Amino acid sequence: MSLNRRTFLKTGVAAAAMAAVPRPLYAQLGRAAEPLPPIEDPRLASLAARALDSARGAGAVYADVRLTHTRTRRFFPLFTYDDEDMEVGVRALLDGYWGFASGPVWSPDEMARLGREAVHQAKTNALGKPRIVTLAPAPVVKNASWTMPVLIDPFAISPFEVQDHLTSLEIFTKRAPNVGLVRNDALSTMQEKAFASTAGSYCTQRTYLTMGDLVVGVYLPRTKQQSELTLDCVSAAGLGWELYAADSIPRVRDHSLRDEILLRLEEAKEDAMLPAKALDVGRFDAVFDENSMANLLDGTIGHATELDRALGLEANAGGTSYLNDPFAMIGSYVAGAPLLSVSANRSEAGGAATTKWDDEGVAPDDFTIVKNGMLVDFQTTRESAGWLEDAYAKSGKPAHSHGCANAPSAVEAPMQHVPNLTLAPGREASDFNALVSGMPDGIAIKRASLDMDFQHGSGLGLAAVFEVKKGKRIARYPSAGFLFRSTEIWKSLLTISADKTSRRFGVSAQKGEPPQTCYHSVTAAPAAVKQLTLIDPLRKA
Amino acid sequence: MSGRTDRLVRLSDDSRILSEQDCQAIAKRVFAFASGGGETSVNLMSWWNGELRWARNRTTLASDRRDIRLEIWRDVGKGRGNVSTNQLDDASLEAAVRAAERSAVLAPIIRRPTPTQPPLPNPERPKTAIWSDATYGVTPEARGEAARALIGPAEAKGMQSAGYLEMRAGSHARLSSTRMGTTPAPWDIPYTAWTQAQCSMTVRDKEGTGSGWAGLSSYDWSHIDAPALAARALDKCVASQHPVTLEPGRYTVILEPQAVCELIAIVATSMYREIPEQGQGPWVLSYDDVLGLWRSKLGLKVLDERITITHDPADPLLGIFPEPWMEPVTWFDKGVLTNLSFLRDYALEKLNVNAPRRALTGYRMTGGQTSVEEMIGTTTRGLLVSHFSDIRALDGNSLLSTGLTRDGLWLIEHGKISKAVKNLRFTESPLFALNSIEQMGVPVPVFRPVKNPYEQEAPLTPAIVPPIKSRDFSFTSTIDAI
Repeated sequence: MSLNRRTFLKTGVAAAAMAAVPRPLYAQLGRAAEPLPPIEDPRLASLAARALDSARGAGAVYADVRLTHTRTRRFFPLFTYDDEDMEVGVRALLDGYWGFASGPVWSPDEMARLGREAVHQAKTNALGKPRIVTLAPAPVVKNASWTMPVLIDPFAISPFEVQDHLTSLEIFTKRAPNVGLVRNDALSTMQEKAFASTAGSYCTQRTYLTMGDLVVGVYLPRTKQQSELTLDCVSAAGLGWELYAADSIPRVRDHSLRDEILLRLEEAKEDAMLPAKALDVGRFDAVFDENSMANLLDGTIGHATELDRALGLEANAGGTSYLNDPFAMIGSYVAGAPLLSVSANRSEAGGAATTKWDDEGVAPDDFTIVKNGMLVDFQTTRESAGWLEDAYAKSGKPAHSHGCANAPSAVEAPMQHVPNLTLAPGREASDFNALVSGMPDGIAIKRASLDMDFQHGSGLGLAAVFEVKKGKRIARYPSAGFLFRSTEIWKSLLTISADKTSRRFGVSAQKGEPPQTCYHSVTAAPAAVKQLTLIDPLRKA
Repeated sequence: MSGRTDRLVRLSDDSRILSEQDCQAIAKRVFAFASGGGETSVNLMSWWNGELRWARNRTTLASDRRDIRLEIWRDVGKGRGNVSTNQLDDASLEAAVRAAERSAVLAPIIRRPTPTQPPLPNPERPKTAIWSDATYGVTPEARGEAARALIGPAEAKGMQSAGYLEMRAGSHARLSSTRMGTTPAPWDIPYTAWTQAQCSMTVRDKEGTGSGWAGLSSYDWSHIDAPALAARALDKCVASQHPVTLEPGRYTVILEPQAVCELIAIVATSMYREIPEQGQGPWVLSYDDVLGLWRSKLGLKVLDERITITHDPADPLLGIFPEPWMEPVTWFDKGVLTNLSFLRDYALEKLNVNAPRRALTGYRMTGGQTSVEEMIGTTTRGLLVSHFSDIRALDGNSLLSTGLTRDGLWLIEHGKISKAVKNLRFTESPLFALNSIEQMGVPVPVFRPVKNPYEQEAPLTPAIVPPIKSRDFSFTSTIDAI
């Protein structure tokens, strides 16, 4: 059999579609193993109940079970890798101690074993000193289902179509001399998840995550160096293949992906034309682009308001938080200038952390973290919301989880992960360039990446930095970075651009032991701050 | 297991990872499902984790987790298809093989030519110390008890302890349908099982003014003295309370072994031969106009002459993952760069030798006889660093890096620790630090746990590293984090 790609394409749609046919995995729902049904199949509820019964029978006061079926497709211009896994994880609570057991097999026997094992794990620790866990009340979800709406299901189209799309981007980019794609691959995940708890909740959902690694390389013959442009408009999103194929995506890109590449190349060329200049170390007013602002928000308030981190639960892993006294700080701590407001959600269409129910069966609410500069809330799960009961009572709010429990799959225990974050836009209808033109003297910063300390309190930013004089970018600093404190930079906010300049970016975050990686989106508009400390990061003491 | 009614393949309590017989049987079943000829190969991994996390002096989660990863490659015609799954029942296996065959058609032109590589003179993998029954046998009860014993002293002193205990076992086999029962190719991996234990903890005072850390990883749980780690973390926390701000600048530093290991991690990734051959990286010497190629610093002295960095598969304390025909390698010999790493393809094509892949994964670094206490005693003014955090490279050519000190930084004045100081950001090249050495201590194993259990070549990368006293280490800014 020697099929080459062209003849295969000619053989027709039927054959191509065959390549996309989901292959069956097997689960045992009744007496015999059978092909895995869609997650909505009611028999999965009884499978899940088996784990809960077993945990309850072993003494758990609360237990929940998650079943995940995850399909991952990694696309390259010339090949496609498929991965398909089934996992199940049972979590049990006994005398204030959590136990967790997980594995890859869906069958009644295995459910029973995992239920028992989770309780066994909890019991071994309940022998120690008492610990109290109060789960914040959550409405019971009865037999609900949800599918994340996507325009193009990446698993329903032929992988040929995607490979061709990636190849076409490569060919398109190569038309210009000395330009090409350095990296060009994409990844789509579809996860079906069933959740059941001893509180009586049962829900199933199907979510999507698509992301690309698209980097344009521009070779500069004179210096024999290559500069690279990362297309951040294909960062992780709760979307299907429309992330690449759509003509535009609200808050992500206004143009087709090809036009976006051209615009970015044009912009890079403009930037490169500016004369390079040695750095004047000092403090300057600065304008940040939307990408830098998103990273800034994520690296500071985004991670510092994870309640478990703030209370020291991550002290031996990712670190703690500069917002180190949540009980006293809620409602009284000034996190930034009055124009700073930050909200969080897991409901936004296209958000990388978007879901209908979190990993504890809670429907996440949209909530405010910082309101007019004041810290008003933290990211919570059912357990951690309970810790805030007194703080909430002060403002007359009942303690309830914001639905931030998450994990990459059921083989990992759920923990609090960052939800989608939004920096509230300002009123000024000015974009990055307009902000620059309004600045008499200072610096402009694009594409900042941050190195935060382990309390997210101070950071080093590396970025493309430009000198601004009389409202014009007049020079670039080839080696520049900036130092900042989270407490100060948000207080030094001068202005934030209006909503229509906001952009959404998908980012990953790692926490826990062993580390778990989850994705969320950050939406931000360009902004200006005063008196930012500019340094040469390559200069030693 | 008794009472089981399903026929699905699982990791049972008695065998929490796949055995050699399991792997052989699964591979044979996969090979039998292949249709249309051509090579089929499988990469089969399984793992078990027994874990315990604690924080604020109480266990927050105890868990038992197991999983499998089966990757299948099918050569069909000129294409090679690849899929992976964690389901091992017959129906799923057959479906996976069919899916790999379908996806082979998607990748028709990337099929590498049939390897014409000669067999290795010795395809055997050395027996290295990577399996410990002591690690595999630790029960959840024992973990719970161990954690309580580690938390106790910190809680008694009014401190808050957070930490992690993990026992892990993994299995790995990469088998091919064309070589069942015959000599494996260098890229095959005969069944290999390994274990790893890790224990680490951070003790902080309730006000958040002091923090101490200690940790160790080893394939063998019995090599880890957990109570000693708990005592060290607590001592460091107490000693690091109420730090004062110190001006950034150049200081003599005493780097504890963990800090040394973290600082020089970037050196290992810079060791590929291709990098200097392209005129880049720290090991390029100059361009040879006559031969028209870049010359590397191989054979030249690049580090302090007291430094020798080696790995030896027979080293019982090191325990690195075995690779075929793995021999002891000396990377730096008394400061002289003696080896750079390469892949097997490179050895055959460029070096014209029939050698296996050579990589700097686990290593042992020589030291001296000076204890950290003696180093402190002989320092007029300097800083004692416990460990680093968030290190990142700024320049690939000089290996200039930046990062933060973490969990205790102390000022030494006139031979004594005078005060705890706030953490600092450094901007320094590890090569500079390794060339400005004043004293070195006795090398000890450090905390370097498995990063990725699905790592294809070397999941275990242990290191044995000495403490070092080095001059003029550059600190560039203060940070508030404690």
